[in-house]
Amino acid sequence: MYVLRRLPSLIATLLAVSILTFLMTSLLPGDPALQILGAENATPEAIAAVRAELSLDDPLPVRYLHWIGDALTGDFGRSYRTNEPVSQAIVERLPVTAEIGLLAIVIALAIAIPVGMLSAYRAGTRTDKVISSTSFGLLAVPNFMVAILLILIFAVWLGVLPATGWVNFTDNPVQNLRSALLPALSLAIAEMAVYTRLLRTDMIATLQQDFVTMARVKGVSNRRILFRHALRPSSFSLLTVAGVQVGAIIGGSVVIETLFAVPGVGRLLLEAVLVRDLLMVQGVALVIAVSYVVVNFTVDILYSYLDPRISHGRSAARV
Amino acid sequence: MRGHRRLRGGPWGRTLAAAGLVGLLLGTAACGGGDDSEGSDPSSAGGGGISEQGEPVEGGEITVGLEAETNSWLPGEYGGANAGTTVAYAIYDPLMKRTEDGEIKPYLAESMEPNEDFTAWTLTLRPDVQFHDGTPLNGEALKTIFDKYLMAPTSNVKNSLADVTSLDVVDDLAVTYTLNKTNAAFPSVLTGAAGWPFSPTAAEEFGEDAGANPVGTGPFTFVSWQRDSNLVVEKNDNYWQEGLPHLDKVTFRPIPDEDTRLASLQSGDIDAMQTLRQGTVSRARDIDGVDNYEYLGNNSGGSIFNTTKAPFDDLRVRQAMAYGMDQPALIDVIGGTGLTPEATQYFSPDSPFYSEEAADAFPTYDVEKAQELYDEYINDPQRSDGQPVGTDISFTYNCPPDPSLNELSQLYQSFWSALGMDVKLNTVEQAAHIQNGLAKDYEVQCWRVGDEADPYITLKNAFTPGPLNFTGYTSPTIDEGLETLRTTADLDERKAAVADISMDISENVPNVFTGYTLTDVAVQEAVKNVDGWEFPDGTKGDGVPGATTMWGFVWLAD
Repeated sequence: MYVLRRLPSLIATLLAVSILTFLMTSLLPGDPALQILGAENATPEAIAAVRAELSLDDPLPVRYLHWIGDALTGDFGRSYRTNEPVSQAIVERLPVTAEIGLLAIVIALAIAIPVGMLSAYRAGTRTDKVISSTSFGLLAVPNFMVAILLILIFAVWLGVLPATGWVNFTDNPVQNLRSALLPALSLAIAEMAVYTRLLRTDMIATLQQDFVTMARVKGVSNRRILFRHALRPSSFSLLTVAGVQVGAIIGGSVVIETLFAVPGVGRLLLEAVLVRDLLMVQGVALVIAVSYVVVNFTVDILYSYLDPRISHGRSAARV
Repeated sequence: MRGHRRLRGGPWGRTLAAAGLVGLLLGTAACGGGDDSEGSDPSSAGGGGISEQGEPVEGGEITVGLEAETNSWLPGEYGGANAGTTVAYAIYDPLMKRTEDGEIKPYLAESMEPNEDFTAWTLTLRPDVQFHDGTPLNGEALKTIFDKYLMAPTSNVKNSLADVTSLDVVDDLAVTYTLNKTNAAFPSVLTGAAGWPFSPTAAEEFGEDAGANPVGTGPFTFVSWQRDSNLVVEKNDNYWQEGLPHLDKVTFRPIPDEDTRLASLQSGDIDAMQTLRQGTVSRARDIDGVDNYEYLGNNSGGSIFNTTKAPFDDLRVRQAMAYGMDQPALIDVIGGTGLTPEATQYFSPDSPFYSEEAADAFPTYDVEKAQELYDEYINDPQRSDGQPVGTDISFTYNCPPDPSLNELSQLYQSFWSALGMDVKLNTVEQAAHIQNGLAKDYEVQCWRVGDEADPYITLKNAFTPGPLNFTGYTSPTIDEGLETLRTTADLDERKAAVADISMDISENVPNVFTGYTLTDVAVQEAVKNVDGWEFPDGTKGDGVPGATTMWGFVWLAD
């Protein structure tokens, strides 16, 4: 029921996104025909020929309807620049970005959860202060700086991980993980700081609640209180923010994938924007938007699962 | 000036200096530039040398880091710059290529002969050359490629072949290019993508995906391509040149970021890399165990004046701006100090078309002279911009967003503001920047000028009416010089004609320069003979122009 109720707004969001991407890319200065031909060959006749071939002279609404009609059947057209089917490019690259993004979230959570809990448990102590200031410091460092530092340390000095490049999982799972590690770590650092801060705040509030005091009185061990009783009610905002932060990870992937020379969606998008490869930009932007919406939709559902109070409340209200 | 900057040690120094002659198309329009890292002092620029080469070794594989990915490998669609050309040289063979003396000479072709008035060129192929798929390379193949692909409406080489009215098969191995007018410089067109034969059978078979499945005659055959990740080629066992290639396999990896590409070379992830950025070249020189094959090309950074707009239609304004800027300071900002000399014309000191006279005539930093010229203009009642006498000129300077270019723009601004000009800086995204240039919709903007094409092509594009004449400047002297270049193949006459044109440019300054571009193929010491390629008859080639390498000649020492 819940899913069904959310469906119209989901469709409206996606429609708005598709129109916006289409409009914005079409209104960008810089003629795609010129980009395809290169300045040396851009005679007016050649430009006219290319524009005609790509139907760039049709009115915008006509072009949009053509595009969205085909897109609904999974056909995003062929790239102006590479002549590669856009859907094929996305299918090839999405797994790369997804793997790095997921790995980044896993690394960030794996570090942030114990550290955040420790920080909350020791709130106000020196440990807490060190953790807090470190998180703020990490938040302030841009991911490209982190990336360069990590390459310097792990590839150039220690020589334990490759500086750049990508190995497909199907070719060699171990090398694949090695090639994904530094990009994921670069993305994870800032996320980690966000999660740590968030978990700390929520957990401090949880630890002051009556049921925690009750558990203490009953003589439940600290470890058990933290992990069994306090973590779950403290992780709602963490989960919500992790969903929202998927956007930050996708944004970060544009920079990180270029630095690490990884063939993901972010790099595809960046290069397509630079050369006005409109169909590619539109296709990639739409797929990213859909992924983002779906992830957050899933988070919403998980949220009600984590906190039964909400789910019950909602269904009661609806009936 | 020759060889002033590199080539310490090793007998290969001289070869390398000579190799710095002329070469490949660098692309005129793109306005890249330096790098934000600091320039190094010439005396302290370490490395730069080349280790002993030794004897050729067969076998082995290398990985090459490229500046960028290429859109498609099918000539006509192919829009790659240097990063694409270097890969293309592994898969394709150019019909023509340049010798170390700057002469255009048949490479894959056996001969290229003009008729008396250079309106028809007959190209003869070598017998028994096959594409990787077994299709014979013959006149029919060239004709199919030409008619069906190179002259297609959307082909991006169509304009460079605009003079060709038809290509006709003479016999099995010979074709004639018929031109609509005399063109003594025509063979140079066939050094680029228009002269890289690809299998017409394979292209037909792959259809829309032909650009992702290149089949040429080159030293290596295409194996696989994952865009933005890697392109793999393997030794062509059936290669038409005896004893080549030396390597078994080459993997090309586009690594767009300069820092991480260099770090990959340093960490040993890759064996070779190319760079066009001055800051990267100086850092690559400082890495132990790395050989740098450098090349000073004709491509130069700088600024162009829109001479069709007041006040830049007035020579005094352009001269004032040229005298009012300190080129070495600008070169320093983009990290070129110790790498490139001051640029004064469309040809570098290493080019056979370089003119000392034009170099001497080009304005150098002289604030007094600049002020004098500027004051004379603004106090001229007849001044071209129609402003009241004594009012300072005001204009916008456009440049794409890039840290080093921002710094460069600010330095230009400070030089010109010192004369009293009101200079506004404007950042324009690359795609729009080029379009502004084509439409002459700008006042002054940063721009790259000069390339490795034949001077006739370069200068005709730049200084005859049309969208590619970005400055809008034309002159009878230039027209006369171009006429000579078009109608004669005599090198001395052509040099004299280019010198006249360069002199005219020095005197009329349609643009100013910020140094030539030093390019570099930086390799691990074990990678040898990077610039040592030769023509089949043993004539020395032009080395590594624009950091493009003939991979068939490269070997890997044990």
